[in-house]
Amino acid sequence: MDFSFTEKEEAFRQELRTWLEEHLPEGWHKGDRQLPKELGEYSRFLRDWQKKLYEGGWAAIAWPEKYGGRAATLIEEIIYQQEMVRVKAPPLVNYVGIHMVAPTLMQIGTEEQKDAYIQKILTGEEVWCQGYSEPNAGSDLTAIQTTAVKNGDKWIINGQKVWTSFGHLADRCFLLARTSRGEKKHKGITVFLLDMNQQGVETRPIIQMDGKHEFNEVYLNDAIAYDTDIIGEVDEGWKVMIALLMHERTGIGAQVFTLEQQFQDLVGLTKELEEDGRPLVKNPFIRKTMVDLYTRSRGSLLNYYRNLTKTLKNGHPGAEGSMDKLIVSELTKELFAQSVSIQGHRGILWKEDAVYGDSYWQENYLYSFGMTIGGGTSEIQRNTIAERILGLPKDMGR
Amino acid sequence: MDFSLNEEQEMFGNYVRKYLEDKGETNIARNFMKGDLEYYQSIYSGLVELGCAGINISEEYGGMGLGALDLVPVLEEWGRSNMPGLYLETNALAVPILEMFGTDKQKKTYLPAIAEGTQTFSIAWLEPGGSYNPLDIHMAATVEGDEILINGTKTLIPDAELADSFLLVVRTSSDGGDKEGISLLLLDKTEQIKIRRQSNIDESRQLGEIKLENVRVSKESLIGSLGNGWDILEEGLLAINAALCSVMVGGIEKVVEMAAEYAKIRVQFGQPIGRFQSIKHRIADMKVDLETARSLAYYANWALENRTDDRVQAIAGARLFAAEAFNRAAGQNVQIHGGIGFTEEIDCHLFVKRARYYEHYLGSTHYYYEKVAAALGW
Repeated sequence: MDFSFTEKEEAFRQELRTWLEEHLPEGWHKGDRQLPKELGEYSRFLRDWQKKLYEGGWAAIAWPEKYGGRAATLIEEIIYQQEMVRVKAPPLVNYVGIHMVAPTLMQIGTEEQKDAYIQKILTGEEVWCQGYSEPNAGSDLTAIQTTAVKNGDKWIINGQKVWTSFGHLADRCFLLARTSRGEKKHKGITVFLLDMNQQGVETRPIIQMDGKHEFNEVYLNDAIAYDTDIIGEVDEGWKVMIALLMHERTGIGAQVFTLEQQFQDLVGLTKELEEDGRPLVKNPFIRKTMVDLYTRSRGSLLNYYRNLTKTLKNGHPGAEGSMDKLIVSELTKELFAQSVSIQGHRGILWKEDAVYGDSYWQENYLYSFGMTIGGGTSEIQRNTIAERILGLPKDMGR
Repeated sequence: MDFSLNEEQEMFGNYVRKYLEDKGETNIARNFMKGDLEYYQSIYSGLVELGCAGINISEEYGGMGLGALDLVPVLEEWGRSNMPGLYLETNALAVPILEMFGTDKQKKTYLPAIAEGTQTFSIAWLEPGGSYNPLDIHMAATVEGDEILINGTKTLIPDAELADSFLLVVRTSSDGGDKEGISLLLLDKTEQIKIRRQSNIDESRQLGEIKLENVRVSKESLIGSLGNGWDILEEGLLAINAALCSVMVGGIEKVVEMAAEYAKIRVQFGQPIGRFQSIKHRIADMKVDLETARSLAYYANWALENRTDDRVQAIAGARLFAAEAFNRAAGQNVQIHGGIGFTEEIDCHLFVKRARYYEHYLGSTHYYYEKVAAALGW
C-alpha cells in the first residue's frame, strides 16, 4: 500500500503547476472566476482557454505524441485532474472531442477521418457534442427514434436529440441514429460524425433549474451526412459507443477531487456562519453531519484510488466505476443540500441577494440535482452494480 | 500509487478463509453459543498454527514482526465467519499496548505466550451505570509497598470467562480528576476473581462482570507509569478500532453475499426476486457501503501503521461508518430473506446481533463523532 507519487510524477505536477500559474486567465488566481454571460463572449473565452492549453501542450495529454499529446500515463492524467480542480480551472469546452471522440477516431476511424478532425479537436477550432438522448430515449438508449435513410452516398437524418451539452457551440456531433430495425434493439444503430453547421440542424436552448443554459435540444430536419461520416460499420454503432465510453477515463476522478474541495469550502462556511454568537461548527448537530460528510467524502476518494489501482493492474477499467459515479454524485447532492440548509431561511436567497459567496451555494445546490441523472442515472448505476458486479438477473425488459 | 493489499496479505487471507470454511464458518459460533467451547478452542489452535496469533508480535518475542495491515485479511475473515473469542482484543489491543509500553518482563511474560496461542486478553473498563469516559472510572487502586490493592466492579467485559488476563482500567488517584490519575494494570485471572456472566443479544460473545474485593497484584503489573493509563489506553484504542473496522468489513461482506445469493434463487411472481429493483437496488447500496467501509478500513490501518497526522480522524471516522453500514446491511439482509430471515435457523440474525454488539463497543458513537471533529480542529 503506497499513496505516494514517483519523482517523475511529481515533476510532471510541478511542470503543470508552473504553467498554470503563468497562463490561467487574468485574475483567475485571485478568485475572479466569472465566465462571460453573453454567448459569443462565453464561447470565445472558452475557446481561447483551450487554445492556450493546446499551445502549452496541455490540451490532450493522454493522446499519443504523433497527434500532439504527451502519451500521459493514467496516473499523470489523475494528477492533471487534481491540479485543474485545485485552481478551479475554466471548463474544457471540447471535453467530448478530446476525451471521447478523438481517441475513438484514433482507434477505429478511417485515415481520412483522422486527418479531417483530430487536429482541429486539439486546437479547439472545432467543438464537438454528443447526440445520444432523445425525448423517448433517456436511460434506454436503444429506444432512439432518430432515423438515417440512405440516398445515394448521402444519408438523410430526421429526429430530435436532447440534453446536448455545448450543442449551441458545437461544430460537429457524434450522433446516434437508427439505420435499421432488427430483433435486437441495440442492432441497427449507426454513429455519424455530423456537421452541425447546416440547414437541417437547429439547436434550441434548454434552461435548467439553476437558471443556466448548458444543454440544448437539437432538431434534425433532413440533415445530411455522407458515407464518409460514418464511424465503424453501418448498423454497428452500439459497439462504437461502447468503445467511446472506454476512453472516458478520468471524468469521475475530476468529480471526486472537486467534491473534496467543495467539502473544504463547506467547512469554511460552517466556521463563518454564526448562531448565538458562536460558529455553527461548534453546534453538536452540525458537527455530527459534518463528520459524516467528512468520512464519506474521504471514502469516495479512497474508493476511487482503490479502483484506480485495479485499473492499473488489470489494464482496463471495471464495472466499479459505477460505484464511484453513484457515490460521488449522491454525496455532492447531500453536501450542497446541507450547505443551503445551514444558512437557515436566508439560504433561499440567491443571485445579488445571496448572503454567502455570490450564490455559489444556491447555484451548486440546484445544479447538483442533475448530477444523479446525467451520465447515467443513479438507478442505472445501481443496476450495473447489482448485475455486473453481484451477478443479479437483469429485468425482463432488457 | 497502490491502494491494495499486497499478494502475501491476500494469500494469507485466503488460507484463513479456506480453513474457516472447512470448519463450518458460522457453525463455530453456533457451537460456541450452545456451550461447546472446546470446538472453538480447537479452531483457534488451528489458526495459531497458521500463524494468526503472532503476526504483529516482534520476532524477538516469537512473532512475525509484521504490522497492522498484515492483520487486516485475518480480521476480515474473523468477521466474515462471525467468530467468537478474543482475537481482536488480544492481538489488536493487548499486543500493541505491550509492544509500545510494556516492560521487558511484561513482554517476555505475555507476548511469546500470545504468539503460541496460550494467552488471551480481555479489557475490563466499564463500571456499572457508567460510561467509557474518564470521569466514570472509579475502581480504586492503591499502591501499598510493592503491591497494588484493588477494589471495585467492572462490567460488560468481553468474553471474561475465556480470557486468561485482563487489561484493567483503574483509578490510582483522584487528585487530577478527569483522565489524570487513571492507570492501566495487567490482571491475571485467578480463583479469587469471580465472574458473573451477563446475558446479551449476541450470544456468541460472553460478557461478564467481575467484582474485585481487596485483590492484590504486584506493582510490576502496572503498564507505563502511574496515573498515565488514559494516554496508553488511547494509543491502544487507535489500534483496536482500526482492526475492528476490518472485522466489521468482513461481516458486511458476508451479509452482502448472503443477500445477493438469496435474491438469485428465491422465486416469487415467477421470477427471482433479485430481478425486482426494490431488492436489486437495496443490495447495490449494501455493496457500495461495503466497499466504502473497506476503503476506509484499509486507510485506517495504513494510517495507524505509518503514524500519519490524520490517523485519529481516519480511524474514528472509519469505525463510525463501518458500524453504521454493518447495522444497516445486516438489517436489510433479514428483510431481503423475508420470513426465513426472521428465523434462528438462518444466519441473518447472527450478523444483526454482532453489528449491534460493536456499535458502541469501547466508546459510544457520539464519543467518536466528537473525536473526529476535535481532531479536525473544529
